[in-house]
Amino acid sequence: MAAVLDVSGVHRIYESAAGYTHALRGVSLTVERGEFLCVMGPSGSGKSTLMNILGCLDRPTSGTYKLEGIDVSQLDDDELAELRALRLGFVFQSFNLLPRATVMRNVQLPLVYCDVAPSKRVERAVRALRAVSLPAEYYDHRSNELSGGQMQRVAIARALVNDPALILADEPTGNLDSATSEMVLKTFARLRDEGKTIVLITHDPEVSVWANRTVHIRDGKLLTDEEERALVEAAIAARPGQGAGRGHT
Amino acid sequence: MRVRDLAVETWSALDANRGRSALTVLGIVIGISAVIAMTALIGGINRALVGELGLSQAQLVYINVWIDRDLTYDDVDKMARDLTDYDMVVASSYGSATVTTGKKKASGNLVGVKPEYFKAMGTKFVDGRAFTDAEERAGTMAIILDKESVRVLFGDADAKVVGQTVRVGNDECTIVGVVERSADAYGGDNETVNGIMPFSAMATRVNGSQAVSQIMGFAHEGSNMEQVVNRTKDYLALTYNIAEDMREDSMYVYSMQSMIDQVNTTMSSFSLLMTAVAGVSLLVGGIGIMNMMLTNVTERIREIGLRKALGARRSDITRQFMLESICLCVTGGLIGVALGYAGSFALTGLVADAFMGEGSTVAVTPVIDVGTVLFATGICVATGVVFGWYPARRAAKLDPVESLHYQ
Repeated sequence: MAAVLDVSGVHRIYESAAGYTHALRGVSLTVERGEFLCVMGPSGSGKSTLMNILGCLDRPTSGTYKLEGIDVSQLDDDELAELRALRLGFVFQSFNLLPRATVMRNVQLPLVYCDVAPSKRVERAVRALRAVSLPAEYYDHRSNELSGGQMQRVAIARALVNDPALILADEPTGNLDSATSEMVLKTFARLRDEGKTIVLITHDPEVSVWANRTVHIRDGKLLTDEEERALVEAAIAARPGQGAGRGHT
Repeated sequence: MRVRDLAVETWSALDANRGRSALTVLGIVIGISAVIAMTALIGGINRALVGELGLSQAQLVYINVWIDRDLTYDDVDKMARDLTDYDMVVASSYGSATVTTGKKKASGNLVGVKPEYFKAMGTKFVDGRAFTDAEERAGTMAIILDKESVRVLFGDADAKVVGQTVRVGNDECTIVGVVERSADAYGGDNETVNGIMPFSAMATRVNGSQAVSQIMGFAHEGSNMEQVVNRTKDYLALTYNIAEDMREDSMYVYSMQSMIDQVNTTMSSFSLLMTAVAGVSLLVGGIGIMNMMLTNVTERIREIGLRKALGARRSDITRQFMLESICLCVTGGLIGVALGYAGSFALTGLVADAFMGEGSTVAVTPVIDVGTVLFATGICVATGVVFGWYPARRAAKLDPVESLHYQ
């Protein structure tokens, strides 16, 4: 069975009035079913670009990206949309819920675009909401009446509801305090234990401890944990006035 | 995306902006109500003119001759024989007399006619019957009232009065029939009685003269009414020795068709004007809709990005925004239909006076039909499509990545 994600030699070059921006420079990455991968990197490292490509919102300039064996770069816009509807779940930093709509309607929204019969939607939404442990009394609340942690759990339920091959989370804890962050990350860990495949993008090292693998992205290139650590230590050693050998977490 | 989902999305989007939506559709409301009011009025006026009578009023020619003697029914019968353009030529004599019952006294406008008059006019009886030839020959005092007169005399328009008697002047007169409205009624306030009597009885007992007041000819169906009128004028000039230069003063031959034509001409310029007003209003309204939809798209860029990320295709986004625009326009249109129809009743009196003459007894009831409503709805759908297309395309073309991170 093909890996959930198989990225090989992906480049992404943006063309703008200011010239070319080489956001990804030969990224290769494989993620197997049931993995919880954390992609870490500072801003400007290309992690958003990678996220967009993994999420089929954007296509690589060169290289191949296979999602469950399907070569995404060959698909047109509508086929990409269909792939997103059926195989991907998104969790965003700013939740991106429809504020006036109820929790139930928010969670059911992806099902509208993958043509699930209305009679089956409620059942699937309830299952997804149970998976993120949101109490049933909130199901009919408008999403703007919820706390940040509750909103993010609704967003995770929305990402789960179409039973996707991959859940992509972009800084899901970026707008949450530590306690709420931990609750959200526990939810991801539990979903991983249930066999879901998760790719989480963050710049926060504390988040990465929940993942079972972490890769780093710098200047459009992926580094393993070891390569990253070597790079950081080299940078510290090169700084004048600092004693060599001081470790870094 | 299913139709039901589309409907839910559309409703919640419009519901979120109720005030703005309402203001935006005003232009459409005004445009459509103008068109509907106009259409309903024109329909009503046409129906009132053409009438629901047995013979179409379009075939009717009013004939009046003023010479040194009164015309009598002998002249009418001669016309009926000589003028081959007409199916029928009838006449009536006008007179007035006090009409009294046991407790009520009213002034009466009376019309004397022969039995064929009812056939020619296609008079419909609410109760009772027309006069018989025997009654006409005998000069029987019989009267036919309209419902309004029954109300004046008996206090209830629906009272059963056939067989009862009233006094006309000093004579007992039997009520033989009741009609909805006396087609020949000529004015009077709402306490005046309109009655129809046998011509002979009118001549001997009310007017004391055999003179006819109004001659009416009913031309064959499909006649060229202008030619009929001209031939009638020539005939009258010849028969009554009216000099060429006296024609204008001595005779008046007038076809209802020319009145209908005149009204139609006035109406068509009127409707052209209204159509222009409606067109401009729809254009302005449509631009308003487009403006609001563009604002909507801008305000909802992140929502559009989210929907795309969740799997919405371009066509889903296009349809969602198109439907919003169409719904706005159609809602405005339906409100416009209701307002326009209501408004046409308010304008009825005004328009009837303007087109049919002051104090006209022709009742104009606005007419609205399913076709008109469907047409107006169609126009609104078209407006929604035309002015919703550009904003919808703009929404659909948004890049999901950029719109998701739009601030």
